Amino acid sequence: MVDVATLAVNSVIISALYALVAIGFTLIFGVGGVLNLSHGATITLGAFAAYYASGGIVEAGVGGAVLAAIVVPALFSAAVYKGLIERIQDQPVMVMILTLVVAIAVEQVFLVAEGTQPKSIPSLLDGTVALGGSKFQTNLLVVFALSWVIIAGLFYTINNTETGKAILATSMTTKGAALVGIESDRVNLYTWVVAGGLAGVAGLFLGSFQTANFAMGRGPLMLSFAIVVIGGIGSVKGSLVGAYVIGTAEVVTGAINTRLTGLVPLLLLILVLLVKPEGLFGRELAE
Amino acid sequence: MTTLAVEDLEVRYGQITALRDVALTVGDDEMVAVVGPNGAGKSTLANTVSGFLPYSGRISYRDEDIAGLSTQDLVRRGLIHCTESRDLFGYLSVEDNLTLGAYGSSDARAGLDAVYGLFPRLEERRDQPARTMSGGEQQMLAIGRALMGDPELLVLDEPTLGLAPVVLDDISDGLERIRDDGVAVLLCEQNVTFALRHADRVYLLENGQVQRDGDPDLLRDDEYVREVYLGT
Repeated sequence: MVDVATLAVNSVIISALYALVAIGFTLIFGVGGVLNLSHGATITLGAFAAYYASGGIVEAGVGGAVLAAIVVPALFSAAVYKGLIERIQDQPVMVMILTLVVAIAVEQVFLVAEGTQPKSIPSLLDGTVALGGSKFQTNLLVVFALSWVIIAGLFYTINNTETGKAILATSMTTKGAALVGIESDRVNLYTWVVAGGLAGVAGLFLGSFQTANFAMGRGPLMLSFAIVVIGGIGSVKGSLVGAYVIGTAEVVTGAINTRLTGLVPLLLLILVLLVKPEGLFGRELAE
Repeated sequence: MTTLAVEDLEVRYGQITALRDVALTVGDDEMVAVVGPNGAGKSTLANTVSGFLPYSGRISYRDEDIAGLSTQDLVRRGLIHCTESRDLFGYLSVEDNLTLGAYGSSDARAGLDAVYGLFPRLEERRDQPARTMSGGEQQMLAIGRALMGDPELLVLDEPTLGLAPVVLDDISDGLERIRDDGVAVLLCEQNVTFALRHADRVYLLENGQVQRDGDPDLLRDDEYVREVYLGT
């Protein structure tokens, strides 16, 4: 018997987590026109940074794990942009090859260092909470709440600060941005740092209720493609909505048959491409 | 004093030479027009002066060689380019577009009031996304956004392109007031009648080379210009 309340709560929670991943992915694509295939590896890096900071290497507690899961991937992301992508960002094929190589390299490093055995990351908060007749891990609710705090903060920053508007402006026209004095390279760097931090904290969240392993970023990367296409490439709001569509579809189909979970997002992706290729809030392909 | 001085300018796109031996100056408070047919190199000149294109020769802005300066560096020094394609932030509101025009400066309020004073239509539409406005309104917005950067030299590329005569008057009035405020203007314009009406001096550009230059009256009396460009 499938419990509708449990499904609903799980959908809402996992979707918020996917939104963190997809928003970063769409920011980098929307602003720099760069398809970052190393985005999934950044999630893995965030999870392992949290693992190392919470007993794997040092014992810095949950706070230390959260900090590590944000700062390390953000710096890593900045290094990938400055070191590899900045000078070739106008060559989409080179960008895809390089970011794929980075993704594989990160996976291999963790495979060599940690093996295939999953690592557990401590919950942000232990215990369970009763909600609508079902019990949920407190950790999941904390993940949900924090995800939304981060998403709301990001929306506010992008829509209400000068730097945020410079990011939006650059995503619409790089030349227009240059005409008012916005340094697009700096704006790109900001988006890589933000996307890295978001992916990293998503890795910590994922790892806290599943586990961390070297290949954990692959699934979310694939889902990001589906989410971003459904929401409309380059639209932050769209990727939030897309995350909810995909997250819900995944949870619901998982309840019917877990083997279908990987397939449904791809079917939705194809459907959207056929019916509404610009996505729900798309602008890149709409013009 | 000259605001802009161009000497021996040559710009190439691969094998094609878009500008050759171009020399021109724009003095302080002066409005200088570059006229010529489609493809003569007017937009290339505008894009080169504002730092978008590589060139050989010499371009100096307020006695500083601009070689090695980026478009953003030039914007900070007050050389602002209002492009033919306008390059507005289509999904942002009119007011956001204008505020971004003052990017990097602490106070945009005074600039906003000045631009709204110049083009009241923009104030009526302050919350409207830029891409939903008419061509004329978008042109006002593009000029307004450029003014928000507090220009010493305004490079205006084809401000009249595709505009209805009524809107043309609004742009004309705006241009006169910009000049009265002491902003030097380099006006690249296909509409020769419009250019001759406003400019202090005019250069005629054909096939990437300056063919004539002088004050508007001189060009208006030039037989070749009359025949080819004014149709009289």
